[in-house]
Amino acid sequence: MKNLIKTFILLLLVASCTKSPVDQNSQNLTYSFGGGVFLVNEGNFRAGNGSVSFYSYDSSKIYNDLFYKANGRPLGDVPNSIAIKGDKAYIVVNNSGKIEIADQATLESKGTITGLNSPRNISFINDYKAYVSSLYSDSVAILNLSDNSISGYINLRRSSESIAVAGNKAFISYWTEGKEIMVINTLNDKVVDSIEVGIEPESMAFDKYGMLWVLCNGGWARQNFAELVEINTVTNKVEKTIEFPTKEASPTCLKTDGAGQTLYYIDNGVRQMDIAATGLPNAAFIIPETGQYFYKIGINPANSDILVTDAVDFVQQGNLLLYSSDGKLISKMQAGIIPGSMFFKIKITSSTN
Amino acid sequence: MAIFFSLPLRGQLSIESDTVKINEVVISRNKVNSEPAGYKKAIIDSSVLARYSNRNISDMLSEHTDIFIKSYGMGGTATPSFRGTDANQTLVTWNGININNPMLGQSDLSLFPAGLIDNVQIYFGGASMSLSDGGIAGTINLETLPVWNRKTLISANTETGSFGQYSGLIKVKTGNYKFQTITKAYFQNAENNFRYLNTVMASEPVWQTRTNSQVSQRGFIQELYLRNSNNVASARVWYQSADRNLPSSLLTPPNSGEKQFDESFRTLLNYDIVKGGNNITFTGAWMLNRLNYYNRLASIDSRNLSEILTLKASLENPVGEYSKLKIVLDEQSSVIKSNNYNQNKTRNTATITASIDRKRDRFGTTILIREILDNNTLLVPDFSAGMQFRLTDDLEYYLKANISRNSKIPTMNDMYWVPGGNPELKNEYAYIYELVYEMNQKISDRLNIKYDLSVFRYNIKDMIEWHPGEYSYWTADNIENVNSTGCESSVSLDYAHNNLKASMKADYSLTRAVQEGAKMENVNLAGEQIMYIPENQAKGLFRIGFKNLYSSWAANFTGKRFITVDNSKYLQSYFINNFSTGIKFNLKSSSIDMNFNIDNLFNINYQSIAYYPLPGRSYFLKILFQIVK
Repeated sequence: MKNLIKTFILLLLVASCTKSPVDQNSQNLTYSFGGGVFLVNEGNFRAGNGSVSFYSYDSSKIYNDLFYKANGRPLGDVPNSIAIKGDKAYIVVNNSGKIEIADQATLESKGTITGLNSPRNISFINDYKAYVSSLYSDSVAILNLSDNSISGYINLRRSSESIAVAGNKAFISYWTEGKEIMVINTLNDKVVDSIEVGIEPESMAFDKYGMLWVLCNGGWARQNFAELVEINTVTNKVEKTIEFPTKEASPTCLKTDGAGQTLYYIDNGVRQMDIAATGLPNAAFIIPETGQYFYKIGINPANSDILVTDAVDFVQQGNLLLYSSDGKLISKMQAGIIPGSMFFKIKITSSTN
Repeated sequence: MAIFFSLPLRGQLSIESDTVKINEVVISRNKVNSEPAGYKKAIIDSSVLARYSNRNISDMLSEHTDIFIKSYGMGGTATPSFRGTDANQTLVTWNGININNPMLGQSDLSLFPAGLIDNVQIYFGGASMSLSDGGIAGTINLETLPVWNRKTLISANTETGSFGQYSGLIKVKTGNYKFQTITKAYFQNAENNFRYLNTVMASEPVWQTRTNSQVSQRGFIQELYLRNSNNVASARVWYQSADRNLPSSLLTPPNSGEKQFDESFRTLLNYDIVKGGNNITFTGAWMLNRLNYYNRLASIDSRNLSEILTLKASLENPVGEYSKLKIVLDEQSSVIKSNNYNQNKTRNTATITASIDRKRDRFGTTILIREILDNNTLLVPDFSAGMQFRLTDDLEYYLKANISRNSKIPTMNDMYWVPGGNPELKNEYAYIYELVYEMNQKISDRLNIKYDLSVFRYNIKDMIEWHPGEYSYWTADNIENVNSTGCESSVSLDYAHNNLKASMKADYSLTRAVQEGAKMENVNLAGEQIMYIPENQAKGLFRIGFKNLYSSWAANFTGKRFITVDNSKYLQSYFINNFSTGIKFNLKSSSIDMNFNIDNLFNINYQSIAYYPLPGRSYFLKILFQIVK
């Protein structure tokens, strides 16, 4: 009887040992060095299942859940974007209101910037300063990269999404229910101009002439026509506006190739368009198969490979689809939940998010 | 005599019940307590509810039943999951009337204080269809009932506990054999500022204090009952409100300013007539639910108001010597006013349910068919058939089996939420199969044993799920099929001798709930356990009472729950122990009961929802004062 009681007490003590309530079936995968692309898997809102993957061109493999494996803790809730500056990776975690700073080679944590209000994207102004856009606040946060602190805010009086930097100007899109691009003088962090574009400017990209292309998706309710707008970054004037043919069009995720000659975006598939074209492409260049949901794209700046994220049903793990520049599927790799934005490690550019 | 269904006052069996010990009968409407042959039903009696008088129903169900409660922690939302199903497939009723929020199609059980309820009945699967408006998964019926005597009872209790919790409950009951009035009022406040170990914010675990987790609840129930030799009329009113700050996930900053205000006002009129062996019941109910949600960070100010009018009539009529025919007509009209809909939305459903129940010798059978008219559209009829067999004449050993087809109308949010609501949604429906073995045997004058074993399977079709649509927002569709298979087993022993009473109960449930259907494009998810459904649950309860002293020990094991659809991540299993002890002083016409509880005795760090911590060891002191004259 005494042994029974001892066993019972032992069981209770074992059960009461402190351990993390959340665990996972980990796979031991070694992160590969070399060229490739970082991929942020957003995960589900409030589920804390976002992650970072890396597709290695050296090994032609994808390595998933790297931040958790390097640090033994989740990345946070809804990581939205990643950018690299020097030897550090900056992962913007939207619903956790923070930026995780990690060694870009190992993803070991090097610090955390907290206290941000719904951050979305980071853009580096110089070696010491970066801007962070915000979904819910009216301000862009200014980061001091020397001590990883928030050094100030730029009050836009509106929310912000995409940031594109050219010279001493930062162009920041007012996305949700907005129709403006705010222009910031990056020397004094002041708003100097605003440019009216179409409804909900969602993404931006520079072409080889330094012209800024803005994709306005027309609003989630499809009450307006989407527009592709070309802006002269010297004069801050709209040079060209191309309206999409129907209100049902829902274009997202504008990118350019490494040469800045071709624009890419998602609209019922991946479409490509030469910057000199006078009209929009009539058909998709890469068409999703049944069951696929094209969510984000990235264009390899070196060889124009097209990387497409397939969010599937936004619940299960998605895929990273690798296409050659002529649209042929090279490989399909399982990524994390809701694979989203990418950052190429091949050729680091700090001009566009 | 068929007028009243009589049973011993369950409080008499209680060791620490606040119910008066008087040899009386509880009168209840036949339709709720009648048990069709071949189905499983569980009753949580007043002796158990008394222990939770200052807690909510979800705490009680979590410890005493196989229903899994998904809880966001103290003061946060708590929703039920029966046998691997969704919360909106469980119906919650008050004296047989649906009180689920029609917008969400579910109830937040953290809003129901156990102290206001006299009896909880749980109908599993097809058994719930006997209440006319049954849920696919099952029904939790909350009963408030009269005690017909000339006594006046006044009871007041107050509880204070860890994390700034304090609550109070007053009950006043008076009347005679023809008239009864019962008033119950309560309040509950809590800071919920408990300490927890945060293992996710940094490489090393950090102790933190929960913030923005305050809750304040108020409510009352007023009941009036009137009876004569053939009729019982009753009027009931139930008001409650809950003002809550919603704590954030461990992964999100605690400054979102999330708040929720829930308010419900429920009225219920009932008239029972017994004439010539027939039992006729008319019920009218009007209910109002207000749910306002505010998120400062995201600038969300969501305001939602629903009103539901229910008219119900039932007829029970003996057919021959052994059979009984029951017909129930149920009409529900809902109006929703929400700033998340394009305009006010209404829904009208009319349901007719006919059943015949036959019990003769050791055999019993039930056949039930139900037809729903939903906004002028006749739906595919539902049905249920059950049979039972008593193994021997002199012992209560039963074999039961039933098969049912039950359906669920989409929630108003599924149909009309902007954006993404889909007015073209079809009903979810399920085929439910159940086998039950039950025994209840008196081993000796002092010892009684009960045992039951159930095996079930739910094939749920056209389940509604929100998914990314053609545009950049999510939309609702009938896209998922789910199969849930499992078993439940329970054994209890009751011992009573002189001044000693002891009871022991052990439960185990195994649930395999898996998805089937179209979404197998990427990973083969077939056979993977559905998120947040524990495959294994086990519970144990030991209670002992000697003279005016009593103690109890409850142990609750919940197996790991997957938090990703591919089962790659999961919440660790947990084993929680709660201890309670007390002493009761009986004076001439009054009594004082002092009770001390320790919850989570071994200070386990655990979570029901990922990244929402639950409190460690906590202490509660409750004092109950009661006068009976």
